[in-house]
Amino acid sequence: MNLFHEKSHATTRRHFLGKFGLGALAFSLLDGRAASAALSGATSDPMAPRAPHFVPRAKRVIYLHMAGSPPQQDLFDPKPKLTELNGQPCPDSFLQMERFAFIKGHPTILGSPYKFAPHGQAGITTSELLPHFQSISDEVTLINSMFTDQFNHAPAQLFLYTGAPRPERPSMGAWATYGLGTDNSDLPGFVVLVSGGRQPDGGKATFGSGWLPSVYQGVQCRTVGDPVLYVSDPPGMDRAGRRRSLDALRDLNEKQAAYFGDDETLTRISQYELAFRMQVSVPDVMDISKEPPEVHEMYGTAPGKQSLANNCLLARRLVERGVRFVQIFDWGWDIHGTGPSDDLITHLPNKCKEMDRPVAALIKDLKQRGLLDDTLVIFSGEFGRTAMNEARNGSTYLGRDHHPHCFSIWMAGAGVKRGYVHGATDELGYRITKDPVHIHDLQATILHILGMDHERLTYRFQGRDFRLTDVHGKVVKALLA
Amino acid sequence: MSGSVGRVHATSTIHALATAATTLALASGLMLGLGLPRASDPPPDADHVDFNADIRPILSNNCFKCHGPDEAKAEGGLRLDTLEHATAPTKKNNRAIVPGKPGESELIKRVSSSDDDVRMPPPEMHKTLTPVEVATLSKWIEEGAEYKLHWSLVPPVRGELPAVKNTAWCRSFIDAHVLARLEKEGLSPSPEADKETLLRRVSLDLTGLPPAPKEIDDFLADTSDAAYERVVDRLLASNAYGERWVRLWLDLARFADTKGYEKDDRRTIWPYRDWVIRAFNSDMPFDRFSVAQIAGDLLDNSSDDDLVATAFHRNTMNNDEGGTDDEEFRSAAIVDRVNTTMQVWMGVTAGCAQCHSHKYDPVSQHEYYGLFAMLDQTQDADKPDESPTFMVGTPEDKAKLAALDAALRDREAELAASVAKNDATDAGKAEVDRLTKARDAARAEADAQRAKLPSIPIMRERPPDQRRTTKIHIKGSFLNQGDPVEPGVPVAYGNLRENQPRNRLGFARWLVDRGNPLAARVTVNRWWEQFFGVGLVETVEDFGSQAPMPTHPALLDALAVEFMDHGWSMKQLCKAIVTSATYRQASRARAECMERDARNRLLWRGPRFRLDAEMLRDSALSAAGLLSSKLYGPSVFPRQPDGIWAMPYSGDSWVLSAGEDRFRRALYTFIRRTAPYPSMMTFDAGSRESCLPRRIRTNTPLQALTTLNDPVFVEAAQGLARRAVLEGGSEPKSRAAYMIRLCIGRTPRAGEAERLLSLYEGELAHYTAHSDIAIKMATDPLGPLPDGMNAPELAAWTVVANVVLNLDETLTKN
Repeated sequence: MNLFHEKSHATTRRHFLGKFGLGALAFSLLDGRAASAALSGATSDPMAPRAPHFVPRAKRVIYLHMAGSPPQQDLFDPKPKLTELNGQPCPDSFLQMERFAFIKGHPTILGSPYKFAPHGQAGITTSELLPHFQSISDEVTLINSMFTDQFNHAPAQLFLYTGAPRPERPSMGAWATYGLGTDNSDLPGFVVLVSGGRQPDGGKATFGSGWLPSVYQGVQCRTVGDPVLYVSDPPGMDRAGRRRSLDALRDLNEKQAAYFGDDETLTRISQYELAFRMQVSVPDVMDISKEPPEVHEMYGTAPGKQSLANNCLLARRLVERGVRFVQIFDWGWDIHGTGPSDDLITHLPNKCKEMDRPVAALIKDLKQRGLLDDTLVIFSGEFGRTAMNEARNGSTYLGRDHHPHCFSIWMAGAGVKRGYVHGATDELGYRITKDPVHIHDLQATILHILGMDHERLTYRFQGRDFRLTDVHGKVVKALLA
Repeated sequence: MSGSVGRVHATSTIHALATAATTLALASGLMLGLGLPRASDPPPDADHVDFNADIRPILSNNCFKCHGPDEAKAEGGLRLDTLEHATAPTKKNNRAIVPGKPGESELIKRVSSSDDDVRMPPPEMHKTLTPVEVATLSKWIEEGAEYKLHWSLVPPVRGELPAVKNTAWCRSFIDAHVLARLEKEGLSPSPEADKETLLRRVSLDLTGLPPAPKEIDDFLADTSDAAYERVVDRLLASNAYGERWVRLWLDLARFADTKGYEKDDRRTIWPYRDWVIRAFNSDMPFDRFSVAQIAGDLLDNSSDDDLVATAFHRNTMNNDEGGTDDEEFRSAAIVDRVNTTMQVWMGVTAGCAQCHSHKYDPVSQHEYYGLFAMLDQTQDADKPDESPTFMVGTPEDKAKLAALDAALRDREAELAASVAKNDATDAGKAEVDRLTKARDAARAEADAQRAKLPSIPIMRERPPDQRRTTKIHIKGSFLNQGDPVEPGVPVAYGNLRENQPRNRLGFARWLVDRGNPLAARVTVNRWWEQFFGVGLVETVEDFGSQAPMPTHPALLDALAVEFMDHGWSMKQLCKAIVTSATYRQASRARAECMERDARNRLLWRGPRFRLDAEMLRDSALSAAGLLSSKLYGPSVFPRQPDGIWAMPYSGDSWVLSAGEDRFRRALYTFIRRTAPYPSMMTFDAGSRESCLPRRIRTNTPLQALTTLNDPVFVEAAQGLARRAVLEGGSEPKSRAAYMIRLCIGRTPRAGEAERLLSLYEGELAHYTAHSDIAIKMATDPLGPLPDGMNAPELAAWTVVANVVLNLDETLTKN
């Protein structure tokens, strides 16, 4: 729809800012990119693609979040010393000046019951729980030296995605689409996929727009019910009927636009047309049943099911169509060992089975389609887990408490090194000994890979120019390819 | 292009200073380099360099971060926020500003240098002053470098009414201020809106609902001069007035029905919401309204209502997640209370001073913790039981509950005694059964009574011997505490009065003291934004150094003074605004004005902008005849898609309300912070996790999908269709016209009814041929066809109603 280009004054900034009812603040600090677009008359759509600050390494992001936080000692960061000291009281130094979520008294060391071995040309050492990951380990940068400020789930997830532990600020995907727009206007620019039967602990604020215009909030695409809320026509109306009614609506709205001379009406007309197209494009992208059998075999997908596997395949389909940021949450990684459903022996292997194959398939699939060259994939929890057995209320199951001082995440694809391990922890995996990476550093690095300077991607609210990285963060150059 | 440049005055003098070659570059440079809100403001109001209008924004945006009020920062020992500091010799024995001598002023040398090592701001700030800004600074220094107190720190005074030419147009002081500015810019106001448009506008603004057909008829029939004022008085006197305005306040109060964070369990606090509705409807003076919410429990002879009011600050979140440190989240709640209070009453972003002294505004870190100390003495401490709580209800109801609880205890004792007998005979079993039933009945009765008497979290002060010692949180961390701090207020905004206690009550009274330069201004500006879509200060959330100047400073002050002089009456404020000629203007665009001021900041036309989330829903249900007028009570659960509530460690679920509770006004909808009602989020409502001072309006395809397909709106279309058939006459054309009347409150313009009619006829043919889907279209989800109506006809009207409910004018206040 080019309706809003018809007016000759569509190129002035003031007019541009009045558009979409975003007010002047909306683009106020995109340091000129939005204004350039306005000056050239290119577009006035808040989701239109915008050039980043510098040449980007990645055009889009898939963020795989394992909500609850998997134990790094059992997956990515082998600690033979823990096995050696298994069952012995932990060093006193672990307990000084520390706050734990659940551990009480003097806990004992918990060695990993799982075997580790090096894999691939790079020889990255990972756990037997991740057999498929071995086949992609040469593609990834593994960071064993992540740390955070927060040790409760909701605040830690909010901290990771918004830069602050309280729900108020925009999330990473909102910042990305605010900065860059999106490449396919027929789909939301920031899509959220949830599995494990639960929303993230931090709630919708983990993918919200905070005080950014709500157009930048993540749109949840669902397997059950409407794939996007309200995308289906009402019962009793078919596509032709919707078209007929939208034709009438457009005719009448054009009369009203002419009467009031309000450009907002023209924008609204175009948004209804876009909605009509989304009604086709969204169900189409969400329908994985047409994927060939070998793809289903690769991911372990089953159409119609809510699963991490389905969401991994959906993530590929979404980025393939130009979606800027795909945020995946998979719930159920909170391995406390309070019972069989969160035990290190009975539960963790099941979660790994659900995750390992589709995640590895996603990387391979992106690679074979050439998408890994301009897509960044990140895999993380919100914090780490303790080297000690939690033994809450004397539980005999095995599990680990929350641990903010170190954890492991990995990244793969555009902009990051392949087959590289960054940072290290001490022999008990309790504290970082080399190259610590803070949450704000990770955020700065992700924005950098997308071509944005985290200090310049700002939004003025309450008189202050806010950033995803608050007033901290530095790009971790060592991770970059 | 330079015509669109805003506040940095591109006056002819300054233009002359900048070279012609840079003019084009600077116009875009202003946009590119800063793109501040002011860039979209209307043309400047003055021709001279004024510190507050022209200089402070440049210094604040570019310099204060390192050379501003934060004394700890003051790079190179230099501060530029006062004349005294800016003219003092620096460590290198330079003077940043030598009044009258821009050539000798280090400031000018630095900001205009082309040497990266010398130029300010330094490269890492990613900010560069434009030639116009440098020229403006130079001229200001040349004229003597006069500093002025920030305008918002000077208490408002009502000045002389400005002289205007078109005196006949003015109905009130508001109009004189608006017209004076328009005349200065060579613009003229728009004619008064037609009666139908005006009635719908004022009905939506004052009650959140479109006018009913009879109200339209009555107003059109009343040709007296007082007709409009009568309508305004009627609307202000209706219960719907409080139900509309409470929304604004609940956004500020971050009111929600759950506690937030991971578990996000339910919280009973809706009586506070009802208290706010009643306060609006009884026109409680805003100063009293304020004091009750901050410190109602500390008033002499505080009433039950005063206690309920203090739930305002118990809307902070609680974290019941396993393994949390209660003190951490208690501390977070106090921070939220300080920030919210300063935001709501002062338009100040105090939160910056949590970690360090404010970079832009006069709030030191020490003063921030003085405010913290004011609020730090309450009993609440992030406990799962929400203590302290207060049971809301009449003495009679409370006595009845006590009696029912006593009866329940008796029944329990009888049952226990019978069970203890362990009598296995049939008679014994029958006795236990009978007593079990009696116990259950007594419990049900007591619980039913208890439900009428909700216990809500409130504020209570700790006893004097348990006072907390508040300390500075170094870098904002509650784990890293520094020096102790006494309760106090930031002095730049005025001191506490001598006779006032240094506690919440003293703080509350300080907020609404007549000497406070901000509370009245900030409040009238919020109200103004509700009517006109943009505040006189656009950043309703920030009146500080970083804020743009008001478009009409004298009007803002006059409104503020008027507000206080009329006993802080919110209804009087509303009435003053809606009876002004400014408000009553038609909202159609005029080309000559659009060129100059497309955003209507100068108010050359009446307001026109999209309804907010709540109004959209309420208007649709109202037009459909479905809206319940039931007031107050527990929050309700209207239609919501499955699967929205699926939170970790919570078995809570959304169960659709029965009967009219499905059709209550949107404000009564249950708000779960981690999973708010989705259609409202799509229309820019917040999650209520923190204070939301301003909703930024958007216009998106997801909104279109919502009003087209959300079962709530489909149901409204079905209701509207039935109503049009029942009440809209027998002719299809009159039914189409009636739908427009119900939704937009006016008669159709040329071609409108005809276009709806042609849609209707096509759909009627379609549904007559497909009667199987016709029944779905007409009844799912509203319910069976009323007697005597046929499915294809009603299905076709439902499609038409769906279109009318999505018309731009239906979604918009015109």
